[in-house]
Amino acid sequence: MKFGIFYEISVPRPWDDGVEKRVYDNCLEQVRLADELGFDQVWAVEHHFLEEYSHCPAPELFLTACAMVTERIRVGHGIVVCVPQFTHPVKVAERTAVLDILSGGRLEVGTGRSATWTELAGFGADPDETKQTWDEYVRVLPKMWMQERFSYQGRCFSMPERAIIPKPVQKPHPPMWVAVTSPGTELDAADRGLGSLGLTFGGFSEQERRIAEYRRRIQLCEPVGAMVNEQVNTVNFLFCNEDRGYGGATGQRLAGTFTYMAAQLLAAREAYPTRSYPSVGLLPQLRQEAEGPGDPSGLPEGLCIGDPARIIDVIRRWESVGVDRINFLLNAAETVPQNEVLDSLRLFGAEVMPKFAESSRTGAA
Amino acid sequence: MPINGTLDPGAPADGAPRMEGLATDPLRLERAQILHVLYEIDSDGAEGLIPPALHPTVPPTASFVAWRLAQSDWGPFTMAQVRVGCRAGVRPRGFLLAAVVDNPVAAAALTARWGYRCEPATPVLRRYHDRVAVTVERDGVTILEAALVGPEPVSGTDVQYTANMNPAHTSDGLRLVQVDPEYEFHRADRGRPSLPVFDAGAWGDERVRPVFPVSASSTVADVTMPRIRYIARLDLPALQGTTKIG
Repeated sequence: MKFGIFYEISVPRPWDDGVEKRVYDNCLEQVRLADELGFDQVWAVEHHFLEEYSHCPAPELFLTACAMVTERIRVGHGIVVCVPQFTHPVKVAERTAVLDILSGGRLEVGTGRSATWTELAGFGADPDETKQTWDEYVRVLPKMWMQERFSYQGRCFSMPERAIIPKPVQKPHPPMWVAVTSPGTELDAADRGLGSLGLTFGGFSEQERRIAEYRRRIQLCEPVGAMVNEQVNTVNFLFCNEDRGYGGATGQRLAGTFTYMAAQLLAAREAYPTRSYPSVGLLPQLRQEAEGPGDPSGLPEGLCIGDPARIIDVIRRWESVGVDRINFLLNAAETVPQNEVLDSLRLFGAEVMPKFAESSRTGAA
Repeated sequence: MPINGTLDPGAPADGAPRMEGLATDPLRLERAQILHVLYEIDSDGAEGLIPPALHPTVPPTASFVAWRLAQSDWGPFTMAQVRVGCRAGVRPRGFLLAAVVDNPVAAAALTARWGYRCEPATPVLRRYHDRVAVTVERDGVTILEAALVGPEPVSGTDVQYTANMNPAHTSDGLRLVQVDPEYEFHRADRGRPSLPVFDAGAWGDERVRPVFPVSASSTVADVTMPRIRYIARLDLPALQGTTKIG
């Protein structure tokens, strides 16, 4: 089991002078500490126009800053929006290669397609087309990274032969992932030999079923890249405190704030009738989990909140259903004071991470 | 945290219908022809269109909805409504500005049982070969013309309609009445939205300014009008001010 941290970078109103700087500074301070504690990954979303919920439109810049202030932690795009109106695929290949160079080969590349009308309409993207463009991107990116010169005649873009430079440090190329929110997308990941970057929880039994099918399907995959990334990554909330009651209450406040803000977004499916978005994405699952059935302590059973002993139990259950990595949301709209976020990380590092160190050492790269 | 509406919570009192009771039985409306046109509206001051109970969507939206019933317990009728998109807590909703109904019996029932503010006007919903359009006239003046252009079939599961929050006078005072019909779709089309005419003032708030087309759907569905399950105060966030009925 490996652990990471995951950033939406939510900024609460009022947006007075300096608030966004303070939030970004807090995030970087958390990343530095996570690196010292031995966390394996930091991920950052790409979102646009999502007021309060996410002020993270340029993750490549944030992740570059993360790489510059850390030594070991890997930096992950969670995700790059693979829609031409957002970013041309050549730009994605170029900037990820630069980030891989600057980070010393620590890049992970998550791919996805956006799930809100707010973003898709803001860039003039057609919701019906995003699945196809994502598919095209994930097939060409490895070639752009690996081939000395690249040309392409495709559906969403075409280009004459050019040298796409620079090339990533990691050979043959950085690990690739797919954001999984809608049911079935994990199978799209498996069929292409890509890692499953789960952005929703679901219950333990539901995840176990989906992970088993992912593992079965990926054995039959036709990899879009030069290697298969058979890994299941999921997201969770983290607030760890010696006092289970305080930790649980604060963690629930964190989860509640995040899900409340997420529910305000105008999902593509809500605004635009399309089969391209069979679910409203991240939101209901997150809400269901945050408000879901409690364990004997009354806390939602799948959330990593409370005291170290409870969190260890929760992570063991996730491990038992086949999850390889867990990424934690540490805050939402700064509802948890920064010193408490840092203390939570330290306690997790001291009391919880050692329990999983062996499985991490023996796990896949 | 998300912005709350800033509309004076007493403002909808004028023109809000009176409901003598909230205990109403469900009613099935068979094979309703439905047109739903969605536009983004000017965000400047959009929070002023809804009461503090609700959050505006990001971006703010308005929906233009028409139902045509060839038959019902009240006889044939056509209804058109204009709603502002919002959230009640975490739930997607539409805040009703006003509705018009061409059948007085249906209007009286929709007002008394589900809190629709029904204005006098004449809505006409027509399906053409290349579009589905609603036109609403009042005193010889067109106050709404909305259409779906270029219908193409989709699945009913691709369509999502949000519940209403209808301001109405109840025995508890002025409240938002949640009306969440159930839909069983027989047919669904989508197409380009069009809004040649919209007289916002005639629909209760001249500050509603459509600025960007989003979507249009046309469906045929059995609609079950629900029993009233929730009402909410207008002056408190919905999470605090909602009361369960029954």
